[in-house]
Amino acid sequence: MIRLDNIEVSFGDFTAIPNLDLHVRPGEFFTLLGPSGCGKTTALRTLAGFIQPAKGTVRVDGKDVTRLPSDKRQVGMVFQNYALFPSMSVWENIAFGLRVRKEKPADSDHLVRDIARRVDLSDEQLAKNVAELSGGQQQRVAVARALVLRPKILLLDEPLSNLDAKLRHQLRQQLKDLQSEFGITTVYVTHDQDEALAMSDRVAVFNKGVVEQVGTPQEIYDHSATEFVCNFIGDSSALTPDFVAEVNRLSGADLLTDANSYLRVEKASLNADGGTVVGLPGTVTSRTYHGLHSRYVVHSHGADIRLLLREDGSPQPEPGSTVTVYFQPAHVLQYHPETGAALQREDQAVRLP
Amino acid sequence: MSGTSVRSMARSPFVLVVGAVLTWFIAAFLVWPNLNILLATFFPDGSFSGRAAEKLFSSQRAIKALGNSFLLAVALSVTVNLVGIFIVLVTHYFRIRGSRILFLGYASTFIYGGIVLAAGYKFIYGDKGIVTSLLVKMFPGMDPGWFSGFFAVLVVMTFATTTNHMLFVANALKGIDYQTIEAAKNLGASPWTILRRIVLPMLKPTLFAVTILSFLTGLGALSAPQVLGGRDFQTITPMILTFTNSPTSRDLAALLAVILGLATILMLAVMSRLERGGTYFSVSKVSSALQKQDITNPVANVVVHAAAYILFAIYTLPVVLIVLYSFADGAAIQTGQLSLGSLTLDNYSRVLTQQSGLRPFIVSVVYSALAALIAVGGLLFVARLLQKYRNWVATAFEYLLHIPWILPSALLALGLIVSYDHPNPLVGGAVLTGTTVILLIAFVTVKIPFTLRMLKASFASVNSSLEEAAAIMGAKTLYMFRRILLPLVLPAAAAITALNFNSLLDDYDTAIFLAHPLVQPLGLVIKANTDGAEGVEGVANTFVYTVLLMVITGVTMYLVYGRAGRRGTSPKRGRALPPVSSAAPPPAVTAVSGEDSKLPAAPAR
Repeated sequence: MIRLDNIEVSFGDFTAIPNLDLHVRPGEFFTLLGPSGCGKTTALRTLAGFIQPAKGTVRVDGKDVTRLPSDKRQVGMVFQNYALFPSMSVWENIAFGLRVRKEKPADSDHLVRDIARRVDLSDEQLAKNVAELSGGQQQRVAVARALVLRPKILLLDEPLSNLDAKLRHQLRQQLKDLQSEFGITTVYVTHDQDEALAMSDRVAVFNKGVVEQVGTPQEIYDHSATEFVCNFIGDSSALTPDFVAEVNRLSGADLLTDANSYLRVEKASLNADGGTVVGLPGTVTSRTYHGLHSRYVVHSHGADIRLLLREDGSPQPEPGSTVTVYFQPAHVLQYHPETGAALQREDQAVRLP
Repeated sequence: MSGTSVRSMARSPFVLVVGAVLTWFIAAFLVWPNLNILLATFFPDGSFSGRAAEKLFSSQRAIKALGNSFLLAVALSVTVNLVGIFIVLVTHYFRIRGSRILFLGYASTFIYGGIVLAAGYKFIYGDKGIVTSLLVKMFPGMDPGWFSGFFAVLVVMTFATTTNHMLFVANALKGIDYQTIEAAKNLGASPWTILRRIVLPMLKPTLFAVTILSFLTGLGALSAPQVLGGRDFQTITPMILTFTNSPTSRDLAALLAVILGLATILMLAVMSRLERGGTYFSVSKVSSALQKQDITNPVANVVVHAAAYILFAIYTLPVVLIVLYSFADGAAIQTGQLSLGSLTLDNYSRVLTQQSGLRPFIVSVVYSALAALIAVGGLLFVARLLQKYRNWVATAFEYLLHIPWILPSALLALGLIVSYDHPNPLVGGAVLTGTTVILLIAFVTVKIPFTLRMLKASFASVNSSLEEAAAIMGAKTLYMFRRILLPLVLPAAAAITALNFNSLLDDYDTAIFLAHPLVQPLGLVIKANTDGAEGVEGVANTFVYTVLLMVITGVTMYLVYGRAGRRGTSPKRGRALPPVSSAAPPPAVTAVSGEDSKLPAAPAR
């Protein structure tokens, strides 16, 4: 549906994106995820036609649109702050694109009312000024305004980033529902990993203009392809060579001791729940109570292992006490210390330079 | 807690002293003179009389002047918007080659306005003007008086009052969220559609406000019609001036002033009503900065470039010629022909060394400095109290202090003349009319609203925790004011003083009513020179005065605002004031009259 090939984007001397290849499938909810300044918005704006790439091609539905202006690309966009026209009513905002296209007024009205109904905006709300709407309603107006022109692709540029936490959770669901209902190919930009994991079919993780990994939320979480992805997504503890060597000794696993190794917080536990677990003794150095659970830091073989313990009412160890940390050796994530690339199981026989 | 009840206010001796002085000042100089005008007009002998109105309506001259004023006001509202919106768009919205230079040219009205500008245009385009002399030589059949009457007044005032657009409309434009423009592009809108349907509607509130300011400026115009209107085009304020000078027609002057005042109040009421009507301000929390737009149509692009540079020439020609001819000798000024050899520093040395040349300059500097210092010094305490206490007494004081903002200066001046031309108990039985003090009082008065707003804003920007911290450590009110607050607001206070000083320096509108015959400030001398009273030497002197005023104003503006751009590199020497448009009367938020002298830069009237 969307293909970006060899895209290079520069602003003066600064190369924001050196060489980008991306492929988005039809009907997919595709997320560009990364920290601020990583190039994700630049990639989206290149796709929207607001930025001309220095090199490479942008294809939509097989058609080369690299040199086409934004409005000829059949992409609809919802902006970070929705960019609703404050001088117009909700109806006028949604109808704007139709009127620019010189659709018949009766047709426009019909289309506007139709799309408004589908995004749950009442006739009464259509007559209102945009400033009178709540954040959630504004978002729906922005979506309706983009969708009324029947674009092939919907682009969303951090549409939830300026909302408070509660509203963000609520709107996240609404947005996802709207997308499923319309079945439109969607490219979504966010720096919020939680949002990306919860909403996306597939996620591209950006770092310094380069895509580190593309995959389903579960793939990028459980099998982070690079050290950057591993650190950016989720929470994990860095392991020491000493610790890894002890794991190998106890379990017979063949983990590399000189690789950069991590263990996700939720993969470690203080209870042996069966399976191929290994247990290492350590000392509790701190405990932070969070209500639902407590966060523990356990010092073991030079490593500070962070883990979560559900607060289910059973007695919990206090700082200073000695405990055993259990986990499966297969859950240890290992990365090449120089390239940062994930070391696959079969690669592990190869000696590191 | 800072007490908000009136009772807690009355417990502080500091508040009581300031309150007493303030009450006296407001009563004596803001309320009584204007009330007195009404009484003098409608109750000349203690009982109601419509004689003034009868006299007015039987005077053809007065009726004609009234009509002319409204004509000028309406025409000016249109022309200023046309020129103003255009220059704002070419400097801030469209990608125009050399837009920075264009900006400097259009911004010349910031340092050059009022009587000085009117005089400058007359010396250049007037019947004996430099350009006219050259033109007559080329086209002997031409009417040397071509630049006078309604047309000339309208042209001069149009180019003099786009300052408001440069301040407020440009700022509103910068506030537009660029994402809305991108969204419109994404939806297929052309540049013209975007301008017409997205950008201009978002500027509407600001445009309403500046339109009303332009209307009021036209209505109350004084110096431009006086200097360039000729016999056929006279307006209300010059008429008020004429009637004031003869005791028998003073009631007519008062009535005209009342009409002007009513029209002003009415327009301001309309403005605040319109403001409440609809907010078009961006609803977004995060917005992206405006990027300049290309004019895609090549023909339109050439036309806009050409128009922009023609306007640039119109704006800068008077400034350039004045600077150039300020070095010229009398013959060159008279014939308009300038050679390199005729450029000397004689004019400057004459103005700066001879008593007659220097005197008006010194008079203006002393008056302006005194008034600026008194206004800021006095209002420092008042602004602090009004910012701290919020109750009906404070609100009432604040409204009263805004009287000079809603009334035209002609009315204020006339009020002072009528009220203090006989011994008055309010000022200890003294007679003020005809003394040097009355102009100082008027100067202080007209500066009050601007000073108060700016000072209040700077007090409000002080973090209140600082005060609370000092209070917890036992600091008393005055000590805290002196050691904590004052140092923080002092840079702003200094900047406000400088701006006040600037705008009073070339004052004409107030001085013409109130100045002592022997202590004439600069504005009056410049006006006299436009009448040709002092001959070529007077013209040369005016050029020198103008250059000096431009230098002083320019330096002040630079010190107050100019370094803003470099704030990042020298955070310590950051600008003392918020940007002009946010702290200086933002027309979209507060009631501002067209009284130009209340804005940092004074356009022609």
